[in-house]
Amino acid sequence: MAKYLLQDAGINWLAILALLTFVIVFTLALIMVFARRKDSYRDVAQQPLKDSYLLLLLAPAPSPPYPGPLASMSELELFAAFVMVLVILLGLWSLLDLSFKLMALQRERLLRKYHPEQLQEVGLEQLEPTKAWWQRLYERMTDAVPIEEEAAIVLNHEYDGVRELDNNLPPWWTGLFYVTIAIAPVYVYFVHFSDFALSPAEAYDVEMTLAEAKVQAYLKTQENSVDENNVVLLEEADAIDAGQMIFSAKCSPCHGKAAEGGIGPNLTDEYWLHGGSVNDVFRTIKNGVPEKGMIPWKNELRPRDIQEVASYILSLQSTNPANGKEPEGERYIAEATSK
Amino acid sequence: MMIDGTSPATSLEHFSYDNKIVKYFAYATSFWGLIGMSVGLLAALQMVFPALNFTAETTFGRIRPLHTNAAIFAFVGNGIFMGVYYSLQRLLKTRMFSDKLSYVHFYGWQLIILAAALTLPLGITTSKEYAELEWPIDIGIALVWIIFGINMFGTIARRRERHLYVAIWFYIATWVTVTVLHVGNSLELPVSLWKSYPLFAGVQDALVQWWYGHNAVAFFLTTPYLGLMYYFLPKAANRPVFSYRLSIIHFWALIFIYIWAGPHHLLYTSLPTWAQSLGTVFSIMLIAPSWGGMLNGLLTLRGAWDKVRIDPVLKMMVVAVTAYGMATLEGPLLSLKSVNAISHYTDWTVGHVHVGTLGWNGMLTFGVLYYILPRIFGTQLYSRKLANVHFWMATLGVLFYAVPLYWAGWTQSAMWKQFLPEGILQYGNFLETVNAILPMYAMRAFGGAVYVAGVVLMIYNLIRTVRQGSLIANEGAAAPPLEASPAGHRGEYWHRWIERRPVQLLVGATIVVLIGGLAEVFPMVMVESNVPKIEAVTPYSPLELEGRDLYIREGCNNCHSQMIRPFRSETARYGQYSMSGEFIYDRPHLWGSKRTGPDLHRVGGKYLDSWHYQHMQNPQSTSPGSIMPPYEWLLERKLDISDLPAKIRTLQTLGTPYPTGYAERAVADLRIQAKDIANNLRENGVDDPELEQKEIVAIIAYLQRLGTDIKPKPQVKLKK
Repeated sequence: MAKYLLQDAGINWLAILALLTFVIVFTLALIMVFARRKDSYRDVAQQPLKDSYLLLLLAPAPSPPYPGPLASMSELELFAAFVMVLVILLGLWSLLDLSFKLMALQRERLLRKYHPEQLQEVGLEQLEPTKAWWQRLYERMTDAVPIEEEAAIVLNHEYDGVRELDNNLPPWWTGLFYVTIAIAPVYVYFVHFSDFALSPAEAYDVEMTLAEAKVQAYLKTQENSVDENNVVLLEEADAIDAGQMIFSAKCSPCHGKAAEGGIGPNLTDEYWLHGGSVNDVFRTIKNGVPEKGMIPWKNELRPRDIQEVASYILSLQSTNPANGKEPEGERYIAEATSK
Repeated sequence: MMIDGTSPATSLEHFSYDNKIVKYFAYATSFWGLIGMSVGLLAALQMVFPALNFTAETTFGRIRPLHTNAAIFAFVGNGIFMGVYYSLQRLLKTRMFSDKLSYVHFYGWQLIILAAALTLPLGITTSKEYAELEWPIDIGIALVWIIFGINMFGTIARRRERHLYVAIWFYIATWVTVTVLHVGNSLELPVSLWKSYPLFAGVQDALVQWWYGHNAVAFFLTTPYLGLMYYFLPKAANRPVFSYRLSIIHFWALIFIYIWAGPHHLLYTSLPTWAQSLGTVFSIMLIAPSWGGMLNGLLTLRGAWDKVRIDPVLKMMVVAVTAYGMATLEGPLLSLKSVNAISHYTDWTVGHVHVGTLGWNGMLTFGVLYYILPRIFGTQLYSRKLANVHFWMATLGVLFYAVPLYWAGWTQSAMWKQFLPEGILQYGNFLETVNAILPMYAMRAFGGAVYVAGVVLMIYNLIRTVRQGSLIANEGAAAPPLEASPAGHRGEYWHRWIERRPVQLLVGATIVVLIGGLAEVFPMVMVESNVPKIEAVTPYSPLELEGRDLYIREGCNNCHSQMIRPFRSETARYGQYSMSGEFIYDRPHLWGSKRTGPDLHRVGGKYLDSWHYQHMQNPQSTSPGSIMPPYEWLLERKLDISDLPAKIRTLQTLGTPYPTGYAERAVADLRIQAKDIANNLRENGVDDPELEQKEIVAIIAYLQRLGTDIKPKPQVKLKK
């Protein structure tokens, strides 16, 4: 019987397979959702719904401690549960739909067999083929009178030969307009009145705090980062080369290609305005001397970079480049041992 | 005309359309289009080859406003008048109100363009984007615009068609709104013939400027062209307009909502957040009304797509309308704060604008030119093949132009925001982010060149078309006299009532466009709490003021912003973010809208005077790889301080608190400050006996002052 019915309805084994798959997924989903602390659902029911709960799922702000089973789920799990419930509802609906259709088919088959005259009365044979839901949706959303029938909606005025049709506003367009209008109050509420409303200045402070924490966390993983107190002169060729690269990109515009001086002082002589030890040079590069026009580089160069460029600069001592600027500052003689 | 009430043929009145004025405007459109776009091409090439900044008059800072003004007011402006003079006569079945006014309008407008082309390269500018022209030219614009208005409303008054077609609603809304915008944004007090200071300062000036700037796009580049589309597209396709009711809704919604959206140009700036939010939400609401125009255009072509395949006029129009739809979707998306945080100050904005101007305005203009000229010369287009080639050059030109700029914008923005894990900027040197996108700039210039070459092709095609025909200067036409206004309006659609009442339509449109502007500008100007005062902020010294006016003359604001947004990536690069209270003496504001070079709001005290001296003389010497042109004339020219007392007096009138009688002492103060800076420069090896009289000293004084009024501290205390 079942076999006969299905063949008559034009349903093959693929549909059965799909149905079976659905039932299995459905059951698994149910187990996954409801297996979580069944006893505390009462608590959930008693919880007042938080302001704009669904948006909370998407908002990055940490939600307040929240008793009940939902609290034990991560945001992703909550979202997954939400999607699953949707899928389940859709599945139930399609199951129902399918059974009604099967019943109707069976009824038609019986009628065809025993009371064909009743079928004639209904006019089933004359009915036009139905359109798929997306065709109906498309037509409903555009709602344009077909070109063949537009003579009926030509308005009875013309301007220099230009005629106008009386087509409805496309419903999808009207819907879009309504949605964009509805966004306005929601946006203003969230940006100015809700718990999540941060002024740009507040948002900036949050951004800075988070970034600072991240930087500090990173720096903790780095051993012995270099600073002006513990810096040592590097002498390996690699380090000096790296220092030279930085020097020609960032320092030479003011100090000259060969560090002979320009806007800034000559760096190849033994005279220094702000100290000639590697620690002093490091500090000068790092913090700058704003009142003298030396800009701080700590926002552009990493400590290691500053160490390299300081080492390169000190490697230039007594190179006497052409056009050297006259000495400025105090004389500094490096100690015999650099380490 | 009503179709069912057939008028007897005997009552026809005979008259003629003025095609000669249409021809004039068509020629002007083509000519200025070529000029304006060529100047744009030069500006694009200057990005890649800084050597193309030949003289002071041709530096990017002066060429860029020339390009925007020529493209908007000369090319599109003449295009509007061409289309309006052609379609208005035919839609109203009458000749233009007065031939004399038509020609006064034509020559007046060309004179204004000429004045712009002369003054802008000379550095005579207000620095306000798309409103750079100084006050005497502003008055000229107002006069010519009023003449255009009289001619248009006179024609409407003499019409033989009772109801006004949708195109004319758009013309009317355009006329009234441009009047309001132009007057509002040109409120300025003259210092001398070629210098004025605006009524508003700082953040208020910025809001008024972008209320204007945004709506110049809306009511000069959009609404009049929608009017043209509503006439020329159904005419060329020979199809009825898709939906009359859609026209009504999108017309009123568009003009009402557009006005509010101006503040989206100032997101994350010191503009109060309530105004920023209005800018965002109204921009989102603008999607549907804008698309209403695109839909009514594209859906009108239902059943005519076979014609689109062969007719270059329709081809141009289809791409134009599509570009309009894309640009008006992109605009609202760029108005979302999170998107704007990426896009603002980058080339993304430039790419976006050019999809609108090259795509929508350019290609619709080309379509209209190809439509009108053969008709008024009683001939066929000389070569459809050439027009098709032009179509492809224009379409591909837009793509080759825009796509590299989107890429450039994203790339540069991402580089600006990139931090190393140590918490320092990965690209701390701004120039690294510029040099990374130079290849994209080169591709953009290529796209622009293809587009301009297409225009050359079009002009050749049009010249040959004109030569093979002869102008029908006065095209005969006949129509029944104006029928009596219906006694009642029972049974007719409600909107028909206002369509036969031009005055009510004008008043209605005026009210609708005024609401948004007043709602934003009034509280901003009247409510003091919108600009929190900062005690330490003082007026500019006379030398700084002169330096600031040089900054304006050279158009520095075209490449350098003065508005640091509250982002970590900006404060790490430039320093404390900008606050509205810092700008209260800035007339005009110089926030800028694009960073081709770094922000300058906190450049004061960052470098030595001698660094600035060398940098101005040869930017590459202090900043290797810089694409900034050298400004050696600042080192040579003597500072003209003849207007200084008048400037001080004007600023006092506007409310800058200089002590009474300061105008007389200002020159002495200027000399003292100039002497200090000159001595400082001399100590650092600058050798020039007349240094203290040179312009460079003033601009250094201004740059060293920038952003130094306040010590870094937050303007707003945290709530918690």
